[in-house]
Formats: sequence, structure tokens, C-alpha cells
Amino acid sequence: MTFEDVLTTWLVKQRWFAGKGRTVHDLAVVADTEITGGDPGLRHLLVTVSHGATSDCYQLFIGQRERLPARLRHASIGSDSRWQFYDALHDPDLTRILLDAIVTDRAVGALRFRRLTEADLAWADRPGLDSLVLTGEQSNTSLVFGEWAIFKAFRRVAPGPNPDLEVAAALAALGSTHVAEPYGWIETRMDGASTVLAILSRYLRAASDGWSLAATSVRDLYAAVDTDVSGTNAAEAGGEFAGEAERLGVATAQVHADLAAAFGTSELDPEAIRDLAEQMFRRFDLASADVPELARYADLAGAAFSKLAKLTEPVQAQRVHGDYHLGQVMRTQTGWVVLDFEGEPASPLAQRRARSSPLRDVAGMLRSFDYAAKHQLITHRDRASLGAVASDWARRNSRAFCAGYAEAGGPDPASHEVLLRALLIDKAVYEVRYEARNRPNWLSIPLESLAEM
Amino acid sequence: MSEHHDAVADSFSFDQPRDPGWYQRAVFYEVLVRGFQDSTGDGTGDLRGLISRLDYLEWLGIDCIWLLPIYPSPLRDGGYDIADYMSVLPEYGNIGDFVALVDEAHKRGIRVIADLVMNHTSDQHPWFQASRSDPHGPYGDFYVWSDTDDKYTGARVIFVDTEQSNWSFDPVRGQYYWHRFFSHQPDLNFENPRVQDAMIEVLRFWLDLGIDGFRLDAVPYLYEREGTNCENLKETHEYLKRVRSEVDKLYPDRVLLAEANQWPADVIEYFGDPSVGGDECHMAFHFPLMPRIFMAVRREQRYPISEILAQTPPIPSGCQWGIFLRNHDELTLEMVTDDERDYMYAEYAKDPRMKANIGIRRRLAPLLDGDRNQLELFTALLLSLPGSPVLYYGDEIGMGDNIWLGDRDGVRTPMQWTPDRNAGFSQADPQRLYLPPVMDAIYGYQALNVEAQQRNAASLLQWTRRMIEIRKRHPVFGTGIYEELTSSNPSVLAFVRLPAASPDEETDGSDRILCVNNLSRFPQPVELDLRRFIGVTPVECMGGVTFPKIGELSYLLTLPGHGFYWFQLPAAGGDRPPGGEKRGLGGKAAS
Repeated sequence: MTFEDVLTTWLVKQRWFAGKGRTVHDLAVVADTEITGGDPGLRHLLVTVSHGATSDCYQLFIGQRERLPARLRHASIGSDSRWQFYDALHDPDLTRILLDAIVTDRAVGALRFRRLTEADLAWADRPGLDSLVLTGEQSNTSLVFGEWAIFKAFRRVAPGPNPDLEVAAALAALGSTHVAEPYGWIETRMDGASTVLAILSRYLRAASDGWSLAATSVRDLYAAVDTDVSGTNAAEAGGEFAGEAERLGVATAQVHADLAAAFGTSELDPEAIRDLAEQMFRRFDLASADVPELARYADLAGAAFSKLAKLTEPVQAQRVHGDYHLGQVMRTQTGWVVLDFEGEPASPLAQRRARSSPLRDVAGMLRSFDYAAKHQLITHRDRASLGAVASDWARRNSRAFCAGYAEAGGPDPASHEVLLRALLIDKAVYEVRYEARNRPNWLSIPLESLAEM
Repeated sequence: MSEHHDAVADSFSFDQPRDPGWYQRAVFYEVLVRGFQDSTGDGTGDLRGLISRLDYLEWLGIDCIWLLPIYPSPLRDGGYDIADYMSVLPEYGNIGDFVALVDEAHKRGIRVIADLVMNHTSDQHPWFQASRSDPHGPYGDFYVWSDTDDKYTGARVIFVDTEQSNWSFDPVRGQYYWHRFFSHQPDLNFENPRVQDAMIEVLRFWLDLGIDGFRLDAVPYLYEREGTNCENLKETHEYLKRVRSEVDKLYPDRVLLAEANQWPADVIEYFGDPSVGGDECHMAFHFPLMPRIFMAVRREQRYPISEILAQTPPIPSGCQWGIFLRNHDELTLEMVTDDERDYMYAEYAKDPRMKANIGIRRRLAPLLDGDRNQLELFTALLLSLPGSPVLYYGDEIGMGDNIWLGDRDGVRTPMQWTPDRNAGFSQADPQRLYLPPVMDAIYGYQALNVEAQQRNAASLLQWTRRMIEIRKRHPVFGTGIYEELTSSNPSVLAFVRLPAASPDEETDGSDRILCVNNLSRFPQPVELDLRRFIGVTPVECMGGVTFPKIGELSYLLTLPGHGFYWFQLPAAGGDRPPGGEKRGLGGKAAS
């Protein structure tokens, strides 16, 4: 077996490998940088994998040792006559080298390890910084150094700047408390463009994501309905979430204000709004071609999109999060922090960095409340009777979120009903299409929401 | 008795060295003398009655009794309206009984502290009577008098329900007097050096009788200054420093416990100068923690607790928080001065059940619907979070309350000792009792009493006693630092208690405890990053069962609804048998 064969066999089994189910025609190592030689050694690889006409580029951190200790066997990739190869991100001895390289702002071959000038990295001298790979991640690999920093290595890389780093650095520079401050990154040049390969940023210790937190609230509500003698609603249930939702609304408005300050604002004129409505119509048609049930909502969507097209008052546009939902926000000991400013992952880079109405993020979060309320019902035995309670939870928390958002200076969702409604329907339509393709048993969630609208 | 016992409760004879840091590790027990045991058959508890129950408190593992006010008083404010600082309410006994109580407690390794109100007296106190009738006499300036009622307008009215102003007119003297609480509780004038001295004389009187300390009621209000809110003033702190140095001079191991119902960042001022380990009060109550424990369990998420502890500043080395679940005192919304800093109070106010929880009208067990799992979780949190726990009498058996008695009396019913007449509390005619014992079907004394629970190995009382014993086996619960661990599950609160000396350095082999609490009613999994304890085999504290060794990967635990674990983390790698843990407290090594 060649080295490439070894890599291919391993690569196709990885969770983050995007070409699942497709035949790998060819794997080529396009860059191979030795970061440290000897035993253990660390190499950084960029490999392209082609599936016929399309090809993807992956980054691999390869560790090599003559003998692989038992604790690293789970990360094994394969071997040649001399070396045992393994995923170096699982080896704290090697990730420490990556960390040190960032802290010292070094270049190794074509790789640039960059440190954000103003970052306070005093913690990097502390003991107990052995890294640990976080589980549960789909498309990238993240590891934490002690409880101080998180290192996120992108697995599939595309040339060009990284919106997440760009935004997080800009917001941190403005003193925002709602972002995880970046410390540094690794970059290289691909196709002539400077390309971010990995980001090191502040680790949010003792934090948990908004989705899990909302789920505890919903779970409690369902159980309360189950056991309580009196009628229980979202307001009275123990897991009441509206306070958190309101504070999340406040945090969102503050992030939007900072995004506007950092990247500027403009106005969508009536023509641009008509274009936006056009796109919504198009997306609806595409989706209903895939999912015939959607046809039932053609009038509903059509009316909302037409109203949007006729909107005459200008709409403020700015840089937004773009893929905003409960899974992108973390509750820390001091409040809410927003993660992953990369935009909608399936969109092209230019579109992800484009300006749009901040209410797009509001719509994303409101849809997420709806999902949080309903996803636990999918397999629930009392699904029918709990439906109304779930909607009550979603409405209550949406209201609280919007109240917090408006109170903290965001454009008041209540006075932008036409735009918000169109955005909500557009988002639900996107979800219908997504669920039909990926999680058919969740399809009922966006469909029911459309019915409720 | 447990062999661990002698360490905290060291010898009390004066010719042997005493343990000055005892309060940092002690378990406190709040006693209402009136409701604990009646020795005379008059229907009211008394000091002799309490003495007869000291064996029980020793058996339970209590280190210090906190007595609610025992002074002569017209009892218009639960005895906090003191009419004579240097004697005992006749219904409770006399000074001789008090000395006997202290002696008998000390013989059992139990200390005694008592409530003391420095800020004000009853209007029946001879000082006030003299002050109002003889403005130019020796007590003329003992209180804060004024011709007008428009001074110190920056001070809020604390009891807004009953008082319109902090000034009341006295027709005898023809002037207004200042009172931060009820109008029958005039504030003493601490500007007057003779008041300052008189109060120190009061402290000395009780210290000479052997008392181990005071809970100082309402300390933030001693002084008034125009243009301020008349709380936490510099002069108040200066006086407390003087009190502390007077106490330290002659009575080095006594404790001053401040009741300052304020935000922790303000309360730490009452510990005094951190560079000398604190030079005001040794202890202070941590008020916001209690309602947040209730909130966290109600919300099934840890943030209410995480946040308040993250916002609690470190305290001087010689100091300690007092923490509690129930208390005779109320954390009123009005007493939180800056609700900007505590949005959570806004949430309480909207949530009727939470509002009832932070009030004082209910006992712990009925608040938790008698749910044994929750009672255990709450008690485990009380015994493991940073601070010295203060138990409220009767909560160790899960006593109920009587909401029909109104105001605070509902939680002041007689201690339930036996299923006999008057719950074994008194031989009096049942109609003569100061309050009837709880008699309902669930919490009534016939079903729920000390005697029955002592006989039942699975009772809440036996369980609580075992937990107290475990806590005392591990002094790190009292003196260690608290560090919350990142847990993947928002319903799980996980933290370690580590020796305070050098958190960053290797603390291998010393006393280390890992606590994992499920705040949800549903079973929960949690993954913890415990790699700094790599190679350690956790030993569960209650049963001594060894858990899987901590390795490189996340440590996975599953917890039942409202479940919790306490693990001891012995030195890594050793083949030490489970249970071979360190004993010895207070510097006494296990031999």
C-alpha cells in the first residue's frame, strides 16, 4: 500500500469526510510540511480527493512514531515499513507544538502560525495544558488546551479568508463580551489566496449550548403537563426559559450593533427587496418540487413574499451571523456568547459575507425555538396532546427573545412584520427541503410550523 | 462516637491550645430555644430542655449551635427587640442555665453562639426609657434623636409594609428618633463613645461566660451619614474592627458571624482586610446562594448556582461563608439593593412558586413536596458548596410547617422528638404549648419524629447524619477552594474541592473531593474532563466503591434524577485500598 492508499482507507471512514457514498477516484497530497521531525514527528498535509468531476481539499495533521503507545491507538491511520501514522490532533505532545508555534508567531514552510497581537496568552505558560479532542463534532475537529483555549482545525478547506475569524476578531477588538475572543490562527496560501486552516480562541469554560439548555426546559414542560393535576403552561413550568430567551435577545442585538460598527451598514432599496422576494419564490419552487406536501402552502408563502416585494420603506442591511440558531450560542457563567460566524455553510463565501437584514438572524433563532419545542415530540407517545403546549413554549420564548432584542436596540421585530414573516417562511421552506433530504422523520416540524403560520 | 470527631471539636479547657479555625470546618445548627425542648412543663422550650437534647446533637455530628435571641424582650420581633442585654428571658431560664448549657455543650465538643443585635434595642430597654425621659442624663445621647424627621433621606425604609419612615416621634422627649427597622426598635447612636463601649461590655459579659461567638444581626446599619444610604459606612467597618480586636485580645477562638443581607461583593467588606486574613467578622452569611439553589433545581440547570459562585469574590484566609437552605430569616426582594446585578430576582418575582420558596414561611421538606431525592440533593449541595453549612432545627428529619399559623410561626413549631404527647417536646397540657406541633397526616409528629427515624437505618435523619460525618472526614469541604468543572450537560453541576494552599501545583494525595450533582428530575449523563487527575481511581464517599480509573478521555458518569455523587480522589496510581483515606482533621494526623 502506498501512503496515499493508507490515507484514503482512513479518510473515507472519518465523520468529517464529506464524500460519503461517493467513489473516491483519486487522492493526492498537494502539500506536505514537516512541522517537527524525529519521533514523534508531526507533518501537516493538504490532500485533494476527487470524486469524478468535483474535488475537495482536506487538511490532515499526521503524527508519526516508530511505536504507537496504547493511548494513541484509537487515532491510528496506518503504517509503512518504519512509521506508525496517526491523527496528531489526539496527541497532546504534538498539539503542544502547534500551540507553541501560534504563541510565538512562527512560520514553518508554507504554514504561518499567527498570533493576534492584542491577545493575552499568559495562560500558555501554565501547567496542565494537555489538549483533549472534543467529541460530537461533525465537520471539523476541535481540541481544548486545559480549560483555557479551544483549537478548531477545519477539515475540509477552501481558499479564501475565514468569516468566523474575521468577525470574532473584529468584535473582540470592539470589546464585545458575546464572542469567544480569538488568540491566533494557522494559515497558508491556496490558489493564491490566504487561507485559514485553524483558529485558536478563548475556551468557554463551564458553558453549555443553547440547544441543550432549551431542551432541558422543554423536557421539564412536557413532564409537568404529564404529571400536574392542574393545567400547566410554559410560563408555570419549572424549566421556564423566557428569562434566558430575553437575555439571548439582548445579546443578539448587541452583537448586531457591534457587527454594524465593525463592518458598516447600507440600505436595501425597493429593488433589492424585490430581488430578495424573488429568491424566496425561487427557493419555494425548488423545495416544492422535492416535497409535494409543500404545495399546500403555496398561497401562504406567495402572499408573504409578494407583500415583501411591495415593501417601500428601506431595510437596513449589515453583516449578520447568517446561520443563527440555538446550537450556535453558548450560555456561560456570565451570559450568552455567539459562536461560528461562518454563515450558512452551504453558501459560497461571497454570499456568506454579504450584508443582509439582521432580522434574518432573528428569524433563524425564532425557527430554532420552534425546533427546540417540537423535536422531542417526534417520538413522544403524547405527541398529539402536547403539540399545543410545544407551540405555547415556542411562542412564549420567541416573544421574550424579540422583546429583549428590541429593548437592546435591535430593529423591533414587531414593527417589521412583513419582512420577518417572509424570512420565517423562507427559512421554514429551506428546512422542509433539508429535512426531506437528511432527516425525513423531522420533516413534520417545519411543515407543522407552516401550518401554524 | 466517631474517632474523627475530636479533631474539629477540640478540647475546651482553657489550659490547652484551642483550634482557632474551627468555624471554617464546622456544621452549624440553628436552634429556636422556645421550640426545642421544654424541661419545666410550661409549654415553652428552655435552656435546660436544650441541655437535655445535647446528646442528640452530638450524635448528629453538630459542631456549633446557633441560638436565636435568648434575652429579655417584649417579643414584638421574635426577640430581636432586646430589653436587657445581660440576662436571659425568664421563660428560657437564667444565666446559670446558660452557663450550664455552654459547659455541657463543650463537654460534647459542641460550641455555642448566640444572636446579638447591636444596631438597636427594644423601646422597653432601660437605656431608651432613660434617654427619652432625661435628654441631658447619661443615656440622653444613646439613641439618634432629631428635632425634625428630614435627615438621612437617602436611607431606604426596610420594612415598607409596616413603616412609613425611619423616623418616629416620641411624645415623651418631644423629638424624633431614628429606627431602620420597626418603630419599637430605636437605633443606638454609635457616634457616642459610651454606646460603643457599652456594646463591647455586652460582648465581654457573654464571652466571659464561655460563649463561642455571636451572630451579629443587622450589622450594615450601625452608623448614619447625611448624603449616603446609611449602609455599609466606613464608620461601621471601623467599629467592627474595634470589636474584632477586643475579641481577639482575650478570646482568640471565638467567632463573629455577620448578618449582612447584601450582595456577596459588598458582604466581603465585613470580613475586613484580606492581607491579615480578615479583621472584622470571621463569617458572614451568603444570602443569594440559597434561592439560587432552589432556582437551579426548578430550572433543571446549573447556571443560577454557577453564576452566583462565579461572582462571589475570594474571601480572606481566616474567613468563611455561612450557607443555608432554610433559615428563620427572609431574603426579601427589597433587601437586594442592586437588582441590575441580579436579574434573577426579576425572574423570582414573576414565578409564584419561586417567590414562595425564598420566603421564610415554609420548611424545606414541604417546599420540595416531601421528595426524598430532592431533600438529599439539596442537603448534599448544602454540605459540599463553599461555606460552613447551617442546618435549621427539624430539617434533618424533614419536619413540616403549619401554614395556618401565619407569618413566621409556621416554621417555629415544636421539635418532633417522639410520637408521644406534644411530640415529646413538653409535658404540658397540649393547649398550653406556645404553638401546636404539626399534626397533619404526612408531617405530623406521630409519623415523623426523631425516635422513629433513629430506629430506621434508611431514614432521612440517619442519612443526614452519615453525610455530616463524611463531610467532617474531609476538611477540604470547609477549607478547600471551589472550582466548577466544565460539564457537557447543563443540568449537571460538577465541581471539585481542592486544598487551598496551591491550586496550581500538584496536590496529589491530599484531600480532594469531586462532587457531581444532577439538578434535573430526569436521569442524565455527563462527560467530564478530569485529565488533571489522570490515573486517579475515584472512590465514592458513601459506600467506598471504586469507580473506573480516570484516563485520557472524557469521564462519563450517569446520574439518576436528582442524584449526586461525592468522590474522593486519592493519589494517582497507588494500590491504596478503598476507604484507606486520610483521617485526621485540624492538624491531627491519623495515627
